[in-house]
Amino acid sequence: TLCFQAFLQMCNLPVRVICRANAEYMSPSGKLPFIHVGNQVVSELGPIVQFVKAKGHSLSDGLDEVQKAEMKAYMELVNNMLLTAELYLQWCDDVTVEEITHPRYGSPYPWPLNHILSYQKQWEVRRKMKAIGWAGKTLEQVLEDVDQCCHALSQRLGTQPYFFNKQPTELDALVFGHLFTILTTQLITDELSEKVKNYSNLTAFCRRIEQQYFEGHEQDSSAIEARSSRGSLLS
Amino acid sequence: MAAPMELTCWGGDWGLPSLHPESLTVMAYAKFSGAPLRVHTINNSWRAPKGDLPVLVSEDIVISQPAKILDFLRKQKYNADYDLSAKQGADTLAYIALLEEKLLPALLHTFWIEAENYCSVTKPWFASKIAFPLSLYLPGKMSREALNRILLTKGGPPLCSFTEVEAQIYRDAKECLNLLSKRLGTSQFFFGDTPSTLDAFVFGFLAPIYKVCFPRVQLQEHLKQLPNLCRFCDDILTCYFRLSVSGHSPAGQDTADANLQKLTQLVNKESNLIEKMDDNLRKSPQHPPHKLTTLKLAAGGEESSPMSRLSP
Repeated sequence: TLCFQAFLQMCNLPVRVICRANAEYMSPSGKLPFIHVGNQVVSELGPIVQFVKAKGHSLSDGLDEVQKAEMKAYMELVNNMLLTAELYLQWCDDVTVEEITHPRYGSPYPWPLNHILSYQKQWEVRRKMKAIGWAGKTLEQVLEDVDQCCHALSQRLGTQPYFFNKQPTELDALVFGHLFTILTTQLITDELSEKVKNYSNLTAFCRRIEQQYFEGHEQDSSAIEARSSRGSLLS
Repeated sequence: MAAPMELTCWGGDWGLPSLHPESLTVMAYAKFSGAPLRVHTINNSWRAPKGDLPVLVSEDIVISQPAKILDFLRKQKYNADYDLSAKQGADTLAYIALLEEKLLPALLHTFWIEAENYCSVTKPWFASKIAFPLSLYLPGKMSREALNRILLTKGGPPLCSFTEVEAQIYRDAKECLNLLSKRLGTSQFFFGDTPSTLDAFVFGFLAPIYKVCFPRVQLQEHLKQLPNLCRFCDDILTCYFRLSVSGHSPAGQDTADANLQKLTQLVNKESNLIEKMDDNLRKSPQHPPHKLTTLKLAAGGEESSPMSRLSP
């Protein structure tokens, strides 16, 4: 969710965040988050970016073709590695599932619906992991993949303020969203956030974006805190 | 390092060393990094493919996924990325992720799910490489796994029908090809003049699309509009796999040579026959001269001219 907020803030578009229990059902694609603008509802990062672009705001206009290709490639890397790792950790690591994910996911619903929905989601996620070949991975391997991904992002960022020079792009918003969630979410072990913390330029990057785009908006910072405790849920 | 490493993978056709993208990636990487690999292609033998191919066996260590195989080769000091900067290494990971997310679903669809392609090309080819009765079961299983993968990763709402999913994955794949083409530009490989891991992966994914002759070829047609990617594939095939661009494998080259030899022999025989015929013709004038001599006796002055006409 954070990546969307960050993206919209970067475009200088005002945004109000609302938490709803049936949010997944309100969304046209079943995926969170989605934005509601006038009488249009758009979900998922790709369509939202295009929607915003059609309205005249775009962050990546200043990039040339090769850079745009690179940006898309890095966005896929983040989706591929970080998102899948987050899902794996939430739903395939038994300890985390039992102690954190099940209670949180089922909390808005009464018994027995909370259990049923949790197990259904877990089964869905495990099927997906099996299809892409992540089912056979151990937690250590997943953490190593995350480390590799962070290493790549860190190398790409280097000492620049944003991934593509001075201006933030969709990639910055996406990376910020994921990394911030990882850094601030309470899990059983801190290994995941430790992996990210190993890369000082990435943590500095997150802090910088947070300060620039989220401070001063009290509504948003409290939303961020609410997010950070529920952050691992919405992805 | 003492014993040579053995790679078991799917074989090739249509001028490619392998039809399977992952096998092709590993073979290309081995060529780029100079790793000595003994390649065993699956053919119609009872050594059925166990688990996923390609599989690398080196002194009792068995490794099965391309990423892990490449890691292993790197640890054995066969590193094609030695000259890359850290940023280029990061770019490699990113582009590989792009290939897997955007291009692989369409590749799987073209090979395993598109009904005409599957029934007329993929299934017979793979079935011919596996021993009976596994040949009845394994292609179907691979097809189901491909469909599963596409539906689970790409098939969620708002794409409700399978045709919408298909349209989306082909759109994504064409965009991915365009992006790769822009990134490659006019250089020979993705990072300068020497090939690296990324080149191996791109080649592994692109070459099957480029070369295999399917009835339904929308992805191939799109690829052919990107001449730098086609040139990239052809360059690697000619330089590293010693295949001519028209698609003769080294085995094919031998058969071409054998054909040439046969043709030469035929021509030689023909020319021998012609010489014999010539000789016969030279010898045969002995018969007509009998008649001619009778003629000569009949007509005196014309004796010499028929004789001179018949002599070579």
